[in-house]
Amino acid sequence: MSEHLAYVGIGTNAGDRTGNLSRALGELRNAGTLAAISSTYRTAPWGHLDQPEFLNLVASLRTELSPHELLDAFLAIERRLGRTAGERWGPRIVDLDLLLYDDLTIADERLRVPHEHLAERAFVLVPLAELDERFAAMRDALPESELAGVLRVEREGGTMMAPEFSLAISERVRALADFLSSGDAVRVRIVRENDEIEVARRQPYAARARRANDRTAADATRLRFDTIKADLVGIFHLSRPAPSEGETFDADRELGYIEALGIRTPVHSMGAGRLVRIGAADESPVEYGQALFSIARG
Amino acid sequence: MIANRGEIALRINRACQELGVLTVAIFSEADRDSLHVRQADEAFCVGPGPAGRSYLNIPNIISTALITRCDAIHPGYGFLAENARFAEICSDHGLTFIGPEPRVIALMGDKASAKNVVREAGVPTTPGTGVLSSVEEAYAAAESIGYPILLKATAGGGGRGMRVVNDPSELQRAYAGATAEAEASFKDGRLYLEKLIRAPRHIEVQVLGDDFGNVVHLGERDCSIQKPAHQKLIEETPAPNLAPAVRASLHEMALRACRHVGYTNAGTLEFLSAGDDVYFMEMNTRIQVEHPVTEMAYNIDLVKEQIRIASGEALGYGQSDLAARGNAIECRINAEDPRNHFAPAAGTVSKLVFPGGPGIRVDTHLYAGATIPPYYDSMIAKVVAYGDTREIAIARMERALRETVIEGVQTTIELCLEVLAAPAFRDGRYNVEFLSNELALR
Repeated sequence: MSEHLAYVGIGTNAGDRTGNLSRALGELRNAGTLAAISSTYRTAPWGHLDQPEFLNLVASLRTELSPHELLDAFLAIERRLGRTAGERWGPRIVDLDLLLYDDLTIADERLRVPHEHLAERAFVLVPLAELDERFAAMRDALPESELAGVLRVEREGGTMMAPEFSLAISERVRALADFLSSGDAVRVRIVRENDEIEVARRQPYAARARRANDRTAADATRLRFDTIKADLVGIFHLSRPAPSEGETFDADRELGYIEALGIRTPVHSMGAGRLVRIGAADESPVEYGQALFSIARG
Repeated sequence: MIANRGEIALRINRACQELGVLTVAIFSEADRDSLHVRQADEAFCVGPGPAGRSYLNIPNIISTALITRCDAIHPGYGFLAENARFAEICSDHGLTFIGPEPRVIALMGDKASAKNVVREAGVPTTPGTGVLSSVEEAYAAAESIGYPILLKATAGGGGRGMRVVNDPSELQRAYAGATAEAEASFKDGRLYLEKLIRAPRHIEVQVLGDDFGNVVHLGERDCSIQKPAHQKLIEETPAPNLAPAVRASLHEMALRACRHVGYTNAGTLEFLSAGDDVYFMEMNTRIQVEHPVTEMAYNIDLVKEQIRIASGEALGYGQSDLAARGNAIECRINAEDPRNHFAPAAGTVSKLVFPGGPGIRVDTHLYAGATIPPYYDSMIAKVVAYGDTREIAIARMERALRETVIEGVQTTIELCLEVLAAPAFRDGRYNVEFLSNELALR
């Protein structure tokens, strides 16, 4: 079966909220493999002020399920976690939303992908941009008032994080780098059991922030993304020296090649841009139409 | 690897699962949500919707087989099933092609060479000529064969460049017309002629051969209920009202032809029969759509047999071990509109109920909510009914078709029911012109 990458938004505002998130993530493992999990965010309720705060996060899931099967799985999880003692169908205390599914656009009576409020809600975009920097520009384009409503929750001993989370070190490094660029710190170190990550900033914060701001302003209007897909079946290889996510190139560059029936077919960047994502592992089999590279242009 | 889609891909997957063989499915972007993709152990997308770029994309299919470490490729029917070059490429890459040798596919796949080679084995073919060099040669040949005759383009297909000639007075004009039409259609105006068999029955014989020279037949199927352009709609076994001597001779001729060419794996020899005369028409060097009727009557799994034979096993049984019982009928359910020249109907199946109960088998890749892509054959299901007698089989089929609900697309269910109810069908006295005549009366 082919694997797809889905982004799932999870929110809860009743009962043991941290526990709810943790249980929802546990249940999601039946629908696929958790690839990465964002930080948890507190979202101030608006409208109904008598409601408790929401806790939100976004997880990415590698799955063989179709979008509609995922939707069914989410509804089942919502129902299961909603059940409280003595009450067969308790209130829905956890919400799971399918935000993205590969590069698919779906609009039918049951499902809208990308999620219809994806571009407007800070509690979705802020955690999502943690996992996928394609959404950083959209996040930064949100009005200040919307952004102010979400606050990152300090992690408490990592108890709610899935075992898979330790695999997604690059995602954590990215989150740390985000954190660094948002404050005055120049070095952050996290130590947990046998696991230690240190991230340091190389350039003065002010200069970096200015450049980031300049880029964000321009990005919000001009940035577009190209996905370069496999047009044949074979073994995918990264070119040497291997391209890395975040790398920019001024002209066309060979990023990788597909080896099929003893012939190597190069995969090019198709012009200048910034490599946002490498979609297939080096030396792995790829099928027709599989996303290999995501490139930001402009 | 299952190099096909739809119901036959599921059929092959089922045989593999029962044999404990792991499977790799291939699919096009239009079939991503197809059942065969879900049921195989692995699945690879090999191209976009149009078959030329996916199910016929030999480099991507072979590459998929190699990177998934497949041992063998089952081609199903259609697509690459009778492509000798594909079979050769498979063996060049160390993959077993589940079918006869490429040499035999090439020999029997070409209609002219197939007729020549079965004639060597003493199997009658429709009397006819080679390429005609002039209208005078046509006159002489038609005189010796006997009118009516059929003029056909050597490059022909779909009835273009074809003319019926009832007597010598029509020949000159038909010859000129067919030449011009063939020239315009195929840039090749060459013609040959054949005896016209009026209102024949289409009867075919199922065979199996192994690598050790053992060949058996599994009876015949009558496939005379055909839509215009010779597309089969209803098939049954045994052929009703076939003289025992004719039946025995068909079976014996099929075996003789297979032994002569060294045929291995599953195959079907198609014959035209008119009265006591039978003529070999062509051979299909693959599993057929209508194979389940034979499976029901002989209680055998032909696809498993194909896989067993391809892996080098001997048949392990002889002709005397095989006996058919009862009658089996298949109706093809196509997503098409019989009232509009059988125009294919693509769309989404909104509601679906398939029949069940004693003696009924349904082979389909359909599920409620499935989308029928516009790129491929319009067949969406095969309903097979078995009975100890033909009457029981027909009654079961009628009841099964009435149980069937397919909403969202037009289908051939009603048409099949009409055929089953027709006196000529019930009496078992019908030929290939039956359906065209019935439709013309509407």
